[in-house]
Amino acid sequence: MTALMDMEAVNRRILDRRLANRSLPPYRAALTSEITEMLSGFFDTARPGATISGVRRVGGGASKEQFFFTLADTGPDTGGTEQYLLRMDPRLAITETDRGREFTLLQAMRGVVPVPEAVWVDANADFFPQPAAIMKVVTGVTKPSDAGIKVSGLGTWLGPDLRAKLRDQFMDHLVTIHGFDWRAAEMPGYEVPDADAKQAARWSYNYWRDLWQIDDGKARPIISLAEQWLADNMPDCSELVLTHGDYRTGNYLFEEASGRVTALLDWELARIGDYHEDLAWVLMQVFGTFDNGTFRASDLFEREDFIRTYEQRSGRSVNRQTLHYYDVMSSWKCYIITAANGMAAARSQHNHQDVLLTFLATTNAMFADDLVRLLADDSAQGDAA
Amino acid sequence: MTPNTDERIASVIRALTEVILPQLPPEASLAQEQLHLSVGHLQILRAQFDAIPGYEREELDDAVAIGIALQAGVFGGSATQQALTAIGTAVAAADGSNVRGQRQAIHDAIDTLVRAVSADGDAQGKSALRAIILKQEHARAQKDRKWFAPFGFDTL
Repeated sequence: MTALMDMEAVNRRILDRRLANRSLPPYRAALTSEITEMLSGFFDTARPGATISGVRRVGGGASKEQFFFTLADTGPDTGGTEQYLLRMDPRLAITETDRGREFTLLQAMRGVVPVPEAVWVDANADFFPQPAAIMKVVTGVTKPSDAGIKVSGLGTWLGPDLRAKLRDQFMDHLVTIHGFDWRAAEMPGYEVPDADAKQAARWSYNYWRDLWQIDDGKARPIISLAEQWLADNMPDCSELVLTHGDYRTGNYLFEEASGRVTALLDWELARIGDYHEDLAWVLMQVFGTFDNGTFRASDLFEREDFIRTYEQRSGRSVNRQTLHYYDVMSSWKCYIITAANGMAAARSQHNHQDVLLTFLATTNAMFADDLVRLLADDSAQGDAA
Repeated sequence: MTPNTDERIASVIRALTEVILPQLPPEASLAQEQLHLSVGHLQILRAQFDAIPGYEREELDDAVAIGIALQAGVFGGSATQQALTAIGTAVAAADGSNVRGQRQAIHDAIDTLVRAVSADGDAQGKSALRAIILKQEHARAQKDRKWFAPFGFDTL
């Protein structure tokens, strides 16, 4: 295998599936009545005698089709009523991931950090029309009730009270994830980029570059420059950890009154990799707020405060050059997600919310500008073009 | 032109917000979300409609400017020279008859140049490529951010 092809097997399968799906007919949002029928059929086998009710769509997300429902089970061993969430892929999503992989990780993280309890998975769409997973509902909100309408939770303003309650939890959970003993865990399908010190960076780079190509990303000089810079400046990984992949405000649930985090969500991009990749993602400006010119990552930490606190709590040191590399990669990934992946899904009519994807695509001007700023930074200058 | 474009878009917005939206049941969360986003798109399109041809023409002009700057400032081996020739061809063809296609042709040629310079450009060529792209794209990104600011994501 050449270095250009090197990536986790699951990601190669995801790319192949995305390419193959391009020729399929248009996709439309599932109706509540259709979901009710699907769930009833599924539980006829998975939990005979159980009944489905209260199916309703979950709003706010940009990627999956999600529905709450109630499962009433009258069996002698499993009696009771419980709330569940069905999480199902559209035909083409803004982030193409694997439900089976996410299910595996949610099970591995039970008792480590707060996560939803994943109960059933249909990773290959054997029953549901698209890959799907079912998990127990966790109470909590992703943003304060007075935060107003925000697409996909970007730039959520928490306010001083919640900020004070959430910041330590946010940091502690991230440190716990990075300290998780993945070598001892049961995580089939999760491969380890340990062939050489650059493999962790190479796997990320190759995956996102191929996603850009598969989705016919439109070349633009700053993106070409960034892609080449990332190829030429891959850092060594000093320690392989479990990374979350999309760690930020908006991707955890909390109780509004107490500020207690009840669940960390959206583990679909988790992998074994470099912790700097997670840190740089947290520090993306689009996921934070500006308060009188002061940036706060996820509205919780100023940049240097976040880095310093992470070092203190984790005992790891943050290599500024490596962090800079992943700062560039994060903006590049966001550009790919919004300008190529989201727009490919919308153009092909393979998603249930094209109008949201075209709305989100307008953010790519910010990511292009981020890349100009980052690549102009003196510390960015390596041996690349 | 009667009705003009502004009047047509305005009437669609009014139908969506005052006739269709009130009829959507509260539980139709996706439909409500999509309708709000559709109205938002239309309002911004309405505000920008007259400026769109000028904006797209300026995108092409900026692509031509960066192409010319790269031709003048970047040198290297045979792959680099070949890519520079392709940029010259794309720039020469940019007469404004197809602003999107011509802009993309220049950007595609620049993409090839970036790879070529990495392969056989000298240090000076690499430095020039980087400086020219960063300068031109900084200016372009500011224009794009301002253009898309009404969508509400930007902290500009």
